Amino acid sequence: MKRLSLIILMSFVLSLIASSLFAADTFDLVIPLPLTGKQAKFGEMMKRSYEIAAEEINAKGGIKKKKINLSFEDSGAKPETARAIVEKLIDTKKQPIIVGEYTSACAKAVAAVAEERKTPYLVVASADDDITQKHYKYVFRQNPVNAHYSDAVIDFIKNVVKPKTIAILFESSAFGTSGADAMVKDAEKAGIKVVLKEKYEAGSVDFKPLLSKVKAAQPDVLYMVSYVMDASLLMKQIKELRIDAKLFAGGAAGFAIPEFIDNAKDAAEYVITATLWTTQLKYPGSKEYAEKYKKKYGDYPSYHGASAYSALFVTKEALEKAKDWTPEGIRASLKATNMTTAFGPVKFEDKEGYQNQNFSDTYVLQVIKGEHETIWPEKHASKKYVYPMPTWRERR
Amino acid sequence: MTSAGLEVLLQTLISGLLLGGLYALIGIGMTLIMGVMKIINLAHGELMMVGMYIAYVLFSSFHIDPYLSILIAAPVLFFLGIFIQKYLINPVLKVEAIIPENQVILTVGIGMVLANIATIIFSSDYKTTPVEYATKAWYLSDIWKTSPIELSLSMAWSVSFCVALLITACLWFFLAKTDMGKSIRATAQDKEAAQLMGVNVERMRVFTFGLGSALVGSAGCLFIPIYYLYPDLGGQFTLIAFVITILGGLGSTVGAIVGGLILGVFESLTSTYVGMGWAPVGRFVIFVAALIFVPGGIMSLFKKKRLGK
Repeated sequence: MKRLSLIILMSFVLSLIASSLFAADTFDLVIPLPLTGKQAKFGEMMKRSYEIAAEEINAKGGIKKKKINLSFEDSGAKPETARAIVEKLIDTKKQPIIVGEYTSACAKAVAAVAEERKTPYLVVASADDDITQKHYKYVFRQNPVNAHYSDAVIDFIKNVVKPKTIAILFESSAFGTSGADAMVKDAEKAGIKVVLKEKYEAGSVDFKPLLSKVKAAQPDVLYMVSYVMDASLLMKQIKELRIDAKLFAGGAAGFAIPEFIDNAKDAAEYVITATLWTTQLKYPGSKEYAEKYKKKYGDYPSYHGASAYSALFVTKEALEKAKDWTPEGIRASLKATNMTTAFGPVKFEDKEGYQNQNFSDTYVLQVIKGEHETIWPEKHASKKYVYPMPTWRERR
Repeated sequence: MTSAGLEVLLQTLISGLLLGGLYALIGIGMTLIMGVMKIINLAHGELMMVGMYIAYVLFSSFHIDPYLSILIAAPVLFFLGIFIQKYLINPVLKVEAIIPENQVILTVGIGMVLANIATIIFSSDYKTTPVEYATKAWYLSDIWKTSPIELSLSMAWSVSFCVALLITACLWFFLAKTDMGKSIRATAQDKEAAQLMGVNVERMRVFTFGLGSALVGSAGCLFIPIYYLYPDLGGQFTLIAFVITILGGLGSTVGAIVGGLILGVFESLTSTYVGMGWAPVGRFVIFVAALIFVPGGIMSLFKKKRLGK
């Protein structure tokens, strides 16, 4: 009996040693993501991108000779679930850094936990301005905030179009409303008169009554904040009514993804839209990542994927430069981050009321010959912008 | 009124009428079922969604025009309707339940099942049938060169509208002139009397549900060239059909057409002159107003002999 218990004890101790030896050359990172529910599409894209990044990092020897061992937990885009996952990661798994999530609501919940438990948290793709405005010391955000999404579009409008009037249509959601409000502020600052600002219910069938009002107002620029199906319906019906503005512009979201062109077809031509990243950018690794993703999964990723891919490299850099892997050490190292990733330069700053916020460039895409082309800022342009665009009557 | 103001008004009315025509076709199927069987079919929008998926599959795999796919979708929906009535609703109707309206709950359940089956097969992504003529339109200034105002008439919308009218005319002819149609009307008016006159009431009910489903399936085919498709689309159209049914007077076919057109025009006018965000509110207002002021529906205002009830 005594011998048996000794054997059990020995084997237990052995396995403990073995596991700690094993643990010595891997770094476990669990990433919370929405893999089910409405946002699953984006969760999936980000998961694939994290995996591509981990593969590349491991191929080059990992982080401080430790291989990254990625795993994912499904939050289903529910803040309660995201919160529970992260509490577990910090309290029982003692993970020194949290990376991930997608929706702003989840990111907010995670940020609160991370701040409370003093664990650094890197926000990857959640845009709500609020997240980095709460004087959190441990929350860092890599993607730009919602209020800055249309910076490049405004810049393009000011420099190229020089309009006098603008009409704004937006979806009656938090995203649509905040996007429209930001545009009103920007337009007023630039001396552009807002002649019409109207909301609509997502999923509407007939935009023509609204659009004939736009037509009567004759704005120089028509700016729309919509998700993808409304975006294509809007453009189709604009074509039907032959509304000729100098410029049709979309605020990120629906206008920036390939489905928009697939559905709106020729009505999408010459429409410009804001975006945070494009496959045509010339940052190191940007093109390689996009091609690798396309080869593996058949489609180009959107900015969500690129941000996720780059976030792992930011994490690697922060962990390598940290003097020790304590929350304080990692936080100091993240704060000192100054690097260029596939997503663009990453540097966490405190300004305009934001803390630990990366202010990267946004870009303008234009649909040219049925493809999204980067047109602004000009140093990143893949094609020269088409302006002025032909009127509907002049097109075929 | 300035010419710009006139243009907006006329364009709004055109949009409203075209939209109303489609609404009417969606509503007719429900009103028919309600009139004959006195049951509320809350799976109506989901049946339309099934029709749209049929049109989508036919278009994406065989390049069949959505309008032609009516010829396939309508029979398929007809048999689906018959199946639902015969094997799901009839057994429930026969049971003495605690809740008298247990069939309403049943149709909600059927709708959920249909939506979830669609999610499993097609995922929740948005689908469209990008047809060539989707954004084609006729313009007033093309015909009348010096016209002070510009109006446009969308091709896809107008074709859908005309087909909807055609289908409605066929339905009217069927109900008014054929023996089968007369039996259906008899069943709607007085079930017992019809039974005494030798009408197979049970069969008429099954047939009517099939017919109502086929109608809304066709509405789906007419709808997909101008809209898009996803599994949860049914709910909002069940609601629209329900409002039209109440507005038009329960079970009145002509009432459903008038109700559909009124709803379409009202929504368009609300969108233009109040704000597009208010359109769903307008729908609700018209629904409540109909219940309070014309409880018998629009057709009760014309005390004439009419179809249906």
